[in-house]
Amino acid sequence: MSILNRGKAKKRASADKSRRSFFWKLGAGVSGALAAPAVMVRAEISEQDSASVRLALLEEEKTLRKLHQNFEQAMDKGLSEEVIEMFADDARVIFNGGLFVGRSEGVSRLYRDRFPSEKTGRRMEPAPGFELEADQQADRVDVSPDLLSATAVFPYSIQAGAAIESETSLANMARLQGEGVKTWWEGGVYHVNYRKDDVHGRWKISQLEYRTLSRADYRPGRSYARPIAVAAIATRYPEDPQGPDSLLG
Amino acid sequence: MHIPMHRYEYTKLTRDQIGTALRATENGPTSASAYSNALNGRSLRIVTQNGPVLEYRFQANKRLTLSEDSGRNVSAGYGELTQNQMVFFSHMIPGEQKGYNVAIDQNTNLVTVFEVWMSSGIVQGAGTPNEFTLDDREVQRQIYFGYVDNGQGVPENLHHYTNRIAGKGLYWKQDTGIETLEYYASVANTNFVELTRHVDDLSFVSTSDYVLVDDRTFAYNRTECEFSGIHTCFVADLYNVEQVGVRFGFNENDELEYYMFRGEGKVVGQLAYLEPFDEHGMAPMFAQGNAQPAKGARSTYRPARTFTWMSDEEMHAAAEQRTSAFGSGDANASTSTLSGGNNMPYSDILVGKEFTVRLDHGGPVRDYRFRDRTMLEYRDHSENVWRDADYRAYEGDENLAWFSHILPDSQPRASVQVAVDFNNGLVTSIESHMGTAYYGNETTYRAVFGAIEMEGVEAPLYVRHQFTDELLGHAFSWSYSDAVTSMHLYGSPHSMSWTIFTGNQTMGAQWCSPCIYVKLRDGVYLFCQNEEACNGVQMIALINTNISHDCGFSFNGGARGVSLTSVGGIGRHIGKYDLDEFYGPKKRVEA
Repeated sequence: MSILNRGKAKKRASADKSRRSFFWKLGAGVSGALAAPAVMVRAEISEQDSASVRLALLEEEKTLRKLHQNFEQAMDKGLSEEVIEMFADDARVIFNGGLFVGRSEGVSRLYRDRFPSEKTGRRMEPAPGFELEADQQADRVDVSPDLLSATAVFPYSIQAGAAIESETSLANMARLQGEGVKTWWEGGVYHVNYRKDDVHGRWKISQLEYRTLSRADYRPGRSYARPIAVAAIATRYPEDPQGPDSLLG
Repeated sequence: MHIPMHRYEYTKLTRDQIGTALRATENGPTSASAYSNALNGRSLRIVTQNGPVLEYRFQANKRLTLSEDSGRNVSAGYGELTQNQMVFFSHMIPGEQKGYNVAIDQNTNLVTVFEVWMSSGIVQGAGTPNEFTLDDREVQRQIYFGYVDNGQGVPENLHHYTNRIAGKGLYWKQDTGIETLEYYASVANTNFVELTRHVDDLSFVSTSDYVLVDDRTFAYNRTECEFSGIHTCFVADLYNVEQVGVRFGFNENDELEYYMFRGEGKVVGQLAYLEPFDEHGMAPMFAQGNAQPAKGARSTYRPARTFTWMSDEEMHAAAEQRTSAFGSGDANASTSTLSGGNNMPYSDILVGKEFTVRLDHGGPVRDYRFRDRTMLEYRDHSENVWRDADYRAYEGDENLAWFSHILPDSQPRASVQVAVDFNNGLVTSIESHMGTAYYGNETTYRAVFGAIEMEGVEAPLYVRHQFTDELLGHAFSWSYSDAVTSMHLYGSPHSMSWTIFTGNQTMGAQWCSPCIYVKLRDGVYLFCQNEEACNGVQMIALINTNISHDCGFSFNGGARGVSLTSVGGIGRHIGKYDLDEFYGPKKRVEA
């Protein structure tokens, strides 16, 4: 997540120190090659655990990081179906006060319909002056000792947007050319729960929450950014064909 | 033609009617200019990218045979005109409602093929309440880029879409005597004026494609969608400003036009185009975000399809339910119909003032008392009753007030937008009300000139504000907010077009309306338009070119009642076309 907070090298060094400390606890059995991806597995690992278990945890952690990387790349490319495929059947996504439930229902509505129409989800450089603090950028993957579930925290810096609610000719014409959306920058952290697929043994996202920490009126190339307030989603499905199954808070 | 295209009721020609009429095309198009014979006796195999392989044999007497994708041979008449290295030919396919217009570069063997057809049956908005089928008379087109296959292999580069023509304005005169002004102020549309076909010199908008052949040559087409559906396609040489092309379709009298033409013209100007310097417009606008658009896909704004008709009675009943002036917004902050942010601030220039607006030629006479920044009292001499009204005012120029309010209890519901020039004692009032001859929910406006009667102001008896053509040919972008920008092109004395930008600031979707222009002072104008047969919304803005800003009002009505709001944006001057010579009664007499 080097795109976040490039100017905060000093604080980032602090975060790196904690990672090194953790590796030290893992002991000499962890190879340098494995340590390289900045691993921080917080599973309870007793002194009696075998090196193979520790390696298995690290391998799963690597797999989950790769899965998240694939998630972000698919979002960047607008590959909605690939994104949806990464979720468990009963997955839940929490986004801007809305809870989207079920891979083939709510999650599909969010990623196949809502996000593309609102130009939301692609990575974007942080708005100047709105970079997340170093401690907000720390990513973390916790794999359960039984290797069947995991939680993770990853920072994000994305473009988000909402349709301009107007029936003016300008808004209608913008929709004609695939626009009519007001976009902004949004930074925060993903809180992700993973679960291994019972059948194929593959990791699936069972819950993904967008915890937004900052928003700014900004687009790449602009010389300034301003904080903005964005109203939480207020209309559920089916009143809103792209709405969540329920509203939170 | 004296009925504007947006008001004309074009016949819904049926597939059978069209098929019968198209029999006349079997011998090829007509032409006022002599045909060339570059293709006579030749056989060409045209291979296109993602399109058909067309195998032609050109014979004497302007006949050809064509095999599409190795299918059966069909025989048809054709027409052919050359221009420099380009040969442009057109033919229909007998028994079918389709044909081809083909531009071949004989130097490079590169080809652009325009397939055209009618009775498309294309459904738009499928599954939505606004689902409709395109009119059968609307000519469809699909463009294929390709080459003449001489066994040389596939060329590395083909003709391609372009933004290089964007912003150009051209005057054309065909060998038929038809004159047009064509403003290519979009990569997907043309804003054009029929100088000979129509009597009002209004500009209209049609979807278009622009293809770059080489630095001096482009291929082009436009289809008058939502109007007659007629199609114009040509190749133009910008060194000599000459064109060869074809016109195909049914005119307003349902007469089939299928003729080729030569034309000569002149460049009337160039507007800046604002996309990034490394953006060359090689992908069509309609394909953005749609990697595999359907055959014939194009981005055509069809506002009348979603504009719900209301009677005068229905409109007034809605106005009685709700008539809103400036919402309930903060009196110190400009509200806007367009996600405001860049409007000018409201002014207290009128607070405490009392004066009479006396409009000429028996026009309204109104006494005004301005209580504070948002409330006024007025008395129309026709009823002699003082009424309260919400108002908002700007100081559009030094000591020049620009305000608006609803006329309460009016039927049809009415509003006024008044410019008061305290330096000169002059007044212009835009008298607006709901309802036109076409829609109860469209607005009607007129400009009335006059003077003020006010202590300390010596108003002139003869001098007045007046209509102007000083804005003619100019284009300004107006950014109402950081998310909403529209370019206005003042392309004729009585009409304008607006163009919105795509995400990378390419000029994209476009539409047009009649309008009026009034000069208040040097560099200060009133501009008023109603989006006729679109959504009926009226925009009345004071344009101050000295500060590149406009400010004004929006008056509109619909099922939810009548609304008067404010609107304004930051302007950029995008360029100017030199158009003065083309307009006015003198020009028409000469024509």
